Amino acid sequence: MRAVLVEEFKPFDQLELKDIPSPTPGPKEVKLKTQAIGVSFAESLLVSGQYQRKPPLPFVAGCEVSGVVMETGPGADRFKPGDRVCGLIDWGSMAEESVAQEVSLHQIPDSMSHVEATCIPGSYSTTTAALTWPNLLRVQAGDWLLVHGAAGGVGLAAVEIGKILGAKVIATASSAEKLDLVRAHGADHAINYREQNFRDEVLAITEGRGVDAVYDPVGGEVFMQSLRCMAPEARIMPVGFASGDMQCIPANLLLVKNLTVCGLNLGYYFGWSPQDMRYEHEDLMRGLFGQIFNWHTTGLIKPALSHVLPLSQFREALDIVLTRQSRGRVAMALDDEARRLGIGA
Amino acid sequence: MRAVWVEDWTPFENLTLQEVPTPVIGERQLRIKTQAAGVSFATSLVVQGKYQRKPPRPFAPGTEIAGIVTETGSAVTKFKPGDRICSVLDWGGLADEAAAMEVNSYKIPDSMSFQEAITFTNSYGTSAAALTWPHLLQVKAGDWLLVHGAAGGVGIAAVEIGKILGATVIATAGSNEKLELAKAHGADHTINYRDHNFRDVVLEITSGRGVDKVYDPVGGDVFMQSLRCMAPEGRIMPVGFASGTIQSIPANVLLVKNLTVCGLNMGYYMGWSPDDVRYEYEDRLRALMELMFGWYEAGQIKPVIGAIYPLEKFQDAMADVLGRKAQGRIAVVMNEEAKRHGFA
Repeated sequence: MRAVLVEEFKPFDQLELKDIPSPTPGPKEVKLKTQAIGVSFAESLLVSGQYQRKPPLPFVAGCEVSGVVMETGPGADRFKPGDRVCGLIDWGSMAEESVAQEVSLHQIPDSMSHVEATCIPGSYSTTTAALTWPNLLRVQAGDWLLVHGAAGGVGLAAVEIGKILGAKVIATASSAEKLDLVRAHGADHAINYREQNFRDEVLAITEGRGVDAVYDPVGGEVFMQSLRCMAPEARIMPVGFASGDMQCIPANLLLVKNLTVCGLNLGYYFGWSPQDMRYEHEDLMRGLFGQIFNWHTTGLIKPALSHVLPLSQFREALDIVLTRQSRGRVAMALDDEARRLGIGA
Repeated sequence: MRAVWVEDWTPFENLTLQEVPTPVIGERQLRIKTQAAGVSFATSLVVQGKYQRKPPRPFAPGTEIAGIVTETGSAVTKFKPGDRICSVLDWGGLADEAAAMEVNSYKIPDSMSFQEAITFTNSYGTSAAALTWPHLLQVKAGDWLLVHGAAGGVGIAAVEIGKILGATVIATAGSNEKLELAKAHGADHTINYRDHNFRDVVLEITSGRGVDKVYDPVGGDVFMQSLRCMAPEGRIMPVGFASGTIQSIPANVLLVKNLTVCGLNMGYYMGWSPDDVRYEYEDRLRALMELMFGWYEAGQIKPVIGAIYPLEKFQDAMADVLGRKAQGRIAVVMNEEAKRHGFA
């Protein structure tokens, strides 16, 4: 089978598609016929050895997958051949067939396509946890929610879920076209932060009060300015650093302004931390995915697909992500899903 | 009446006791014959004009008092002359009399002394809010709680309240004498951070897992090292910067390690912010005070008064605070309470 094989840690654009033997599922593992693969910024770090988690070499790149169950290993009895499943797996999704631990996989609704399903384990699960878990942003009906980078994968998810929870959503993005997209997904207010000082706009919109919650995949100065348009007892979550700058937060500002900064690394719940906790968190994760699948079935969320490419164009796919050309999800489609979408191999 | 009097912003050591007119009370205020007042590090900043909040001059510094109501404003309903109360003031504590807002005043239990009472609005109040309010540290039974500066006013309060809530408490301080005090107030483990790397000891005590909650009045490197001995989903609160260093917290560490940093400024709830919200939060603060007074009456919390000085010795009181020699709170007493302690 064809796979994006990493034999040594190196930049993504130096990797190649290789023919390797198809994997065999071990105990509690499931083998999938890959239908769609999510492409995200973290992939570029994983293959170059810059991520906090380093798979043993050689390995197949790719962590976000949706596919059809081909066979199950010993002790894996949750799924049967033919089931449509998605998940965030340790590695190995950028291949025609992949093997994943059963605990990491979730059966997707009939109404959800495989390319849509690649949005769930990363963008939607992170955002749902961030907005709803009581120890994190705890967005409530009537809250003002500020979403940065709102035309990206996690940003759009935050706009939609914020609206589902009854919040008033202010979204920021860097172009008029992106702002149209975020409005179409439900944002009440949209601010172009290249043309306007978003802090002043947010204070004007909230009549000087500031917002109750901030979801920030951009980081750097955007995060620091956000601290200055938040209400007392507001929460802010750094989700990533798309700006390339990792901010340092002055502790006295949090104290004086009664602010809380919440960190969330969903990989911990998926078993990506030094102590593998995936079994301890299985019920929590199944509950989280079930909630998101319900929202999709009832039409409350519509995962936005920016680009869908064939596996042979994996370098182009990641380049689109890294150069921030995407509006929502960048994915690759294979097999039946590629044929359905009219995409070549 | 006598008052410590600030006419120009100046270092605390330049202040003197002066004879000034007694304060005038408004319709929602109480006149208090002050019996005890607190001095704190923040007091030394306020008189220099270095605090975020600047009283109009001239004024008497000091924000925590306990005393006896002698007169009530026309709109006051909760108090009558003779009531024993504690109050948090905007300013005016280091004086024989004070004008206190009814909204910021609380009747104290009969069994509580005036100098004990000054610890409740700020030290115990801050620690109780930090540990119990659901959006802050959320300390619950079975948690590991790490308390830094555990022999100070807020630190001792956090040790005691942590134990009441069912946490296992690890306390740090800079001397063995201070650690003895933390232990006497319930700490399960104590670490002298001058003799040991507290991070290593915490990881050892928790079998490598780290603590669930951290309460940190020290700041600087103590805070930064704390981030490295916390369990996933851990919560940490910076309460002050007694070390003199204000830390900058790398956002990526919070993200990778699933950590939350909670800020709490009790002054906001007491009406000290630009938008005065003390009436909006009155019920929440009265509930907090009732909770703490209940703990006091049940013998579960025992405020520590490190030293008591008469009002005329207010400079000695501040020297104790700034020298960080103090265990618990330093109290200044006046009127009947000064006589009761044998001060002339």
